[in-house]
Amino acid sequence: MAEPYITLVSSLPYLPPFERAERSPITRLRLEQRLHNLEPDDAKQLAIAEALVSWRMSLAKPKTDKDMVLRYRAAVQEISQPALREFIEFRIDQQTIMAGLRQSKTVFESAFLEQVSGASRWAGFIASHWDIPDFKLAAVYPWIPEARNYLENNDACGLDRLMMNIIWRRLGKIAESNRFGFEAVFAFVFKWDLLQAWLARDAVQAKSRFQELINEVKNDH
Amino acid sequence: MEPLILALGWLGLYAPLALGAVGSMIGCARAGSAACGALLEVEGGYGRYIGVAAMPSSQTIYGIVVTMALRRELTLENSPGIFGLGILVGVAMLYGAIALGDACASSINVSKSKLEVFGISLAPAALVEGFSVFAFVFALVLAAAIPK
Repeated sequence: MAEPYITLVSSLPYLPPFERAERSPITRLRLEQRLHNLEPDDAKQLAIAEALVSWRMSLAKPKTDKDMVLRYRAAVQEISQPALREFIEFRIDQQTIMAGLRQSKTVFESAFLEQVSGASRWAGFIASHWDIPDFKLAAVYPWIPEARNYLENNDACGLDRLMMNIIWRRLGKIAESNRFGFEAVFAFVFKWDLLQAWLARDAVQAKSRFQELINEVKNDH
Repeated sequence: MEPLILALGWLGLYAPLALGAVGSMIGCARAGSAACGALLEVEGGYGRYIGVAAMPSSQTIYGIVVTMALRRELTLENSPGIFGLGILVGVAMLYGAIALGDACASSINVSKSKLEVFGISLAPAALVEGFSVFAFVFALVLAAAIPK
C-alpha cells in the first residue's frame, strides 16, 4: 500500500510556520501516542533519525565532530527508508558546511578533514577549497553567504532562523512527495521538533509557559 | 470461438458493477481512514467527515445502473459491444472511485484544521465525480445502441 498512514497523518494537527507559531499544537506525549500507529520498523528508523539529526538533539550532540561522524556512520546503516536517508544526508551536509564555516578561520583544512571525513560527501570538497569563503559551494547551497554573514556578526538567532527555514522548506517538500505516507509522518515529527526548539527560544514565552506550568502544578495539588 | 465471445459478453456485463464496487471499497477505505484520524483531532461535526468518506460509494451505484442497462440476452452480435462498453466503463468507475477516495481524504485532512475550507476543499472531489458521471451517462447512451 503506497499510503499506509492515512489515519495517522489525518490525526496530526496543522503545524503553523514556526516563526508565526504562538504555541505547539500537540504535546510530545500526544504525538507519541499517535506515532504508536507506525509500523515497528518505521518507528525504529524514525527514532534513530531523531537521535541523529533532530534540531534539539543536535544541541546535545557529541562533543566533537569526529564523534558525531562516528555516530552518524553507525546509525545510517540502520536507515532503509530512502526519503529519510536522504533527509539525514541533507542534514549532515548542512552540519558539515556549518562546521567548515565555523572553523575555516581557526583550524587547518587537514584538521577539519580529519574530523568530518566519512560523513558528508562535501567534506573533501570543502577541504580542497578551504580558503575560499563559500568553499565554492554557493551555487549548490545559496544560503552559505548569508550563514557566513550571521556567523561573522555573531547573530546566533538569525543563523538559527535561516537554518530552520531551510530545513522547514525541505521537510515541506518531503511531506508533499507522499502526503499520507511515512514521508509525511517523519516530516511532521521533524517540523514539530523545529517548532518546539523555536518556541523554547522565546524568553518571554518561556517565562509565561513556566508560570502556566507552575499554576498547573499548584492547581493539581 | 463462440463460447469465448459469449464469455466476454458476460464479463462486460458484470464489469461495471464489479469494478465499480472494488473502486468504492478502496476509495471509501482511504477516505474513511482519513476521517477516523480526523475524529481524533476535532471536537465535533463528526458526521461531516464520515459523510465525505462515503462519497466514493457512488461509483458502485453507477455500476449497478450500467449493468442493468446492458442486461439482455447475450448473442454473438451483442457480446463484443457489451464487453467493450462494460470493461471500459468499469475501469473508469474503478479508477474514479479510488481517485475520489484520495480527494476526499485530502479534503478531510485539510478541513479538520481549517473548517472554513471544508466546502472548497471538496471541489477536486466534485470534479472527479463529474468525470465519473460523464462515463456513466455516455455508457447509458451507448448501451441503447447495442443490439438486443
